[in-house]
Formats: sequence, C-alpha cells, structure tokens
Amino acid sequence: MTNVQKRGKRIAFVILFIVALIWILPILWGVLTSFKSEAEIQKLGFTFLPKQFTFSNYGKLINNDSAPVFHWFINSLIIATCSTILNVFVVSFAAYGYTRLHFKGRDALFTFLLSTMMFPGIVNLIPMFKVVDFLGWTDNFLAVIVPGAAGVFNVFLVRQFMLGIPKELDESALIDGANEFQIFRYIIFPLTRPVLAVVALFSFTGSWNDFLWPSVVMSSVDKLPITPGLQLLQGQYTTYPGIATAGAIFALIPTFILYLFAQKYFLQSMSLQSGIK
Amino acid sequence: MAHKKSKKWLWPTVFIGPHLILFIVFFLVPVVFGLYISLTKWDLFNTPKFVGLQNYQTILFNNNSVWHEQFINGLRNTLIFVVTSVPFLVLVPLLLAVLLNLKPHMSKVFQSIFYLPNLFAISAVMIIWNFLMSQSYGPIKSVFHSNVDILNSQPWAWIAIVGVTTWWVIGGNMIIYQAALNGVSKEILEAADLDGANAWTKFTKIILPSIRFQLLFTTVTTTIAQFNVYGQPLMLTGGGPNNSTRVLLMYIQNNTFGQGTSAAGVSSAMAILLGLVIMAVSLVQFRLLRQDN
Repeated sequence: MTNVQKRGKRIAFVILFIVALIWILPILWGVLTSFKSEAEIQKLGFTFLPKQFTFSNYGKLINNDSAPVFHWFINSLIIATCSTILNVFVVSFAAYGYTRLHFKGRDALFTFLLSTMMFPGIVNLIPMFKVVDFLGWTDNFLAVIVPGAAGVFNVFLVRQFMLGIPKELDESALIDGANEFQIFRYIIFPLTRPVLAVVALFSFTGSWNDFLWPSVVMSSVDKLPITPGLQLLQGQYTTYPGIATAGAIFALIPTFILYLFAQKYFLQSMSLQSGIK
Repeated sequence: MAHKKSKKWLWPTVFIGPHLILFIVFFLVPVVFGLYISLTKWDLFNTPKFVGLQNYQTILFNNNSVWHEQFINGLRNTLIFVVTSVPFLVLVPLLLAVLLNLKPHMSKVFQSIFYLPNLFAISAVMIIWNFLMSQSYGPIKSVFHSNVDILNSQPWAWIAIVGVTTWWVIGGNMIIYQAALNGVSKEILEAADLDGANAWTKFTKIILPSIRFQLLFTTVTTTIAQFNVYGQPLMLTGGGPNNSTRVLLMYIQNNTFGQGTSAAGVSSAMAILLGLVIMAVSLVQFRLLRQDN
C-alpha cells in the first residue's frame, strides 16, 4: 500500500469518526435522559450522564391511561407481525403467478401494475379512509394491516428474483406429477427465501414506523400503534423530557434488535432496490 | 369445454387473485374515488355534493379564500423543504460512501451508525431532537451558549428540520452509493493512476459517470419522498413560527381529519394538485439527468 493511500485512509477515519459522533450522540443522550429523574432534569438543565440512574420514567409509562405506551407497543407488535406474514404470502403468490403461470394478458397486466408505481400515494389518503370506513374497518387493526399488501414494488422485487430461478426445476417437477401449488410450495418458495426475508424486514419496519395513516384511521387511544401514539405522548409531556424520551427509546428497541440480527439483509436490500435497471 | 376453461383459470386466480383484489380495493378504487371527491363539497360522512372544478378554481385562483392562502403557503413551504433538503440527502451520503469505501478502521461500525437512524420511527426521532433543540432543556443551546430559540425562529427552524431529516434518512442512499462505488472498474482507476490523474479528476471523470444511474435513481426517489414531508415540522416546530414551516400535508391532514367540519373535497383537490407537482418534478428530473450524460 502506498503512503498516499495510507494517508487517505487516516483522513477518512478522522472525518468519519467526527461525523459518527454527531450521529450517535443524540441517541445516546436520549437513552441517558430516559434514566434521569424529572427533578434532576428540571434542576440541573443540560447534563450528559445522569447523577442517579432511575427507571421511574419507564415506570410511569406502565398503566398510563392517557398515553398507554406499553399497550401501544403490543399493538404495534401484533400489527407489524400480521402485516409481515400477509405481505410475504400475498407477494410471493403474486410473483409466482406473474413468472410461472401462463394466462392471457399476464404481461400486459403486470406492465399496468408497474406503471401505477409512479403514482404519488398521498393522493389516496382521503379516499382510502372512505374505503376503509365503508368496509367497517375504522378503529380496527385490519385497517393498518391489510392495505399495505396491495403494493406493487414488493411483487416486482420478488418477481425479478424468481425470473432467475431455472425453469428446468419446475418442469422436472411437472413431469413427476406435481401441481402448481406443489411446485410453488416445495421448489420456488424455498429458493425465493433470501428476497422474501427482505420483503419481510421491510414490511415489519415499514408497518412499525408508519405514522400518518394509522393516526388518521385509528380513533381510540388504546388501539393506536406506538409510532403515531408517541405524538400524543409528546403533546402530554412537553415539559417532561425524561418520560417522553423513555417512550421514544422504548419504541426504537424492536427495529434496533431486528437490525442487529438481520444486518446483512438490510444492507443487501438497499442494493437490491437500486440494482434494478 | 366449460370445465376445461374453468380449470385453466384456477391457478392464476389462486396465485394472483389475492394481490389483485387488494390492489383494486386499496389502490384503483381510491384513485377513482379521490378524483371524484375532489370535484365535490364533502364532509367525509354525508353524501358528496358535486361542484365541478370549483375546488380547483378556489384553491388556485381565489385570492380571498382561506383555501387558496393555505395551498400557496403549504406548497411554498413544501418546496422550500424539498429544494433545501434533497442536495444534502444526496451529497452527504455520497461523501460518506466515498470515505467508507477507502476501508478505514471501523468502517463497518461507522456504516451501521449512519444507517441505523433510517430504521427508526419518525415520532421517536422527533421527540429526542425536539428536546435536544428546546429552549428550556436543550443541550445544543447549553453547548453553544446561544440564546437562539432554534425551533421558533427562522431560518433556524428550517435548518433544524433539514438537519434532522439528513440525520434521519441518509442511510439508505449511502448503502446504494457504496454498492455502486464497489462496481467502479478497478482497471480504469489504475490506468488513470498511471497517467498521473489526481483524486478529483478520477472522481469527476471516472467515478461519477460510472455511478450516474444510482445518482439519478436516488435523486428522483429522494425528491418524491421529501414532497411527502409531514412528521418533522409537525413534531419539531408545529408548523411555526407563524406558519412558516407548515407544509401542505399538514393542511391536508388537518382540514380533513382535524377538529371541526371536515373539508375532504377541497383537501382531496389539494392532494391531487400536490400529486401532479410530484409527478411533474420527477418527470423533469428524469429528462434533465438523462440528457446530462
């Protein structure tokens, strides 16, 4: 390695280190503040480390009627898990249909689906409320679980992946007398798992982080998912940084853990998304 | 014959049927219905009353109308945000990706640190940043010994919103650029070295042209995403000071689902106009960036 390259690496390290501090300090401050007592925060103003570690802020989030954060957390877990399962099934079924089945108008239909991806979703916010209201789903978890599976992007992603699986595999199974469902279940689905993992991760984090739609369609406080719920928490505890940050940090735990375990898939998925030409 | 025909459609129905039904119910129906209600006076619950293009006319041209005032202010603020944030959301991750690809010590750790906020819920992120920048408890104020009320004065409010957004979302673009940079031909770079090209020449003449597809892709997707800005001003500044950060989506949400009688018809028209702006801007971007190379 040349000296120039070594120096380049060293400079890169210093810059990245400084930027990384800016990136990590807010979260660290949030975590530490969530363990400070309100009295300490009010009296001392800004400090970094808590004088005394306390779990009292987290305690105040349990059995909190006006901002039931733990309850919201459970709601979010249920909603995000159901969305993920539904998405994986609906999407892998559809992708199979658009790659392996032959029917009239298949490619025209898929091209039409693709063309709708340019359409800005915001236009649908108000009419979608009415559709969900018509189905009797307002204030029901179904309203935040089901519509997400109507998206086209995931179908496209999985279809691209399935196109790469050799047709000979299905043909030999067909000769052995397998039907379409068996080919899907025993051959294509298992081979598609890497890209389905990406779909699952994005469904889960997407559902967990969804903000505007659930706040519009869920009217009871105790049915809210945690992400829109935190907006209520903020409104109620504007002068209590300890409790509000405790709620915020608590909401970050699942996505953080998911990232730790599935880092590889998260990083791959981004290049998958842009690699499509 | 009939039996054979029904069998032919069995598997397509089973496999694409579920997605297609969801797509129709939760995409096509709302699109058509949304177009219709933008032509009506509607309170979200009673029967919509058809008024033709009146909503559009009011929003766009009636200087005495509150809707017109809101639309102009909301769209202006949304555009300010898009124009100021997108350059940072493309250039900052590009710079980080270039530095990370030099493979310095701990580059994997740095990569995770920059990527992670992108997975965090907007409301959680905004609660933390709101306190960080608050006038009463904010560490930022104490550290810089400043009396500026960041979230309640301009241009600080916009700087805060753009800054926090940058902190929050650059991870995705960064990973895309890292992958793109890995694909740049090593042979060409070495040949350039032998010819005595400096780092800047290599970056502008070899690296940037090689990753132009990813730059185009991310610029368009980032712009579209930023047009939907909502949570950051809502939870950081509340639209203030003096509505100077109140974006169009905040008006649309509040007029439709907020307190009082819903103005769902007018709001739908506003949403459709915003959608048209988004589509127009992404088309222009595609054209411009295509021509560039």
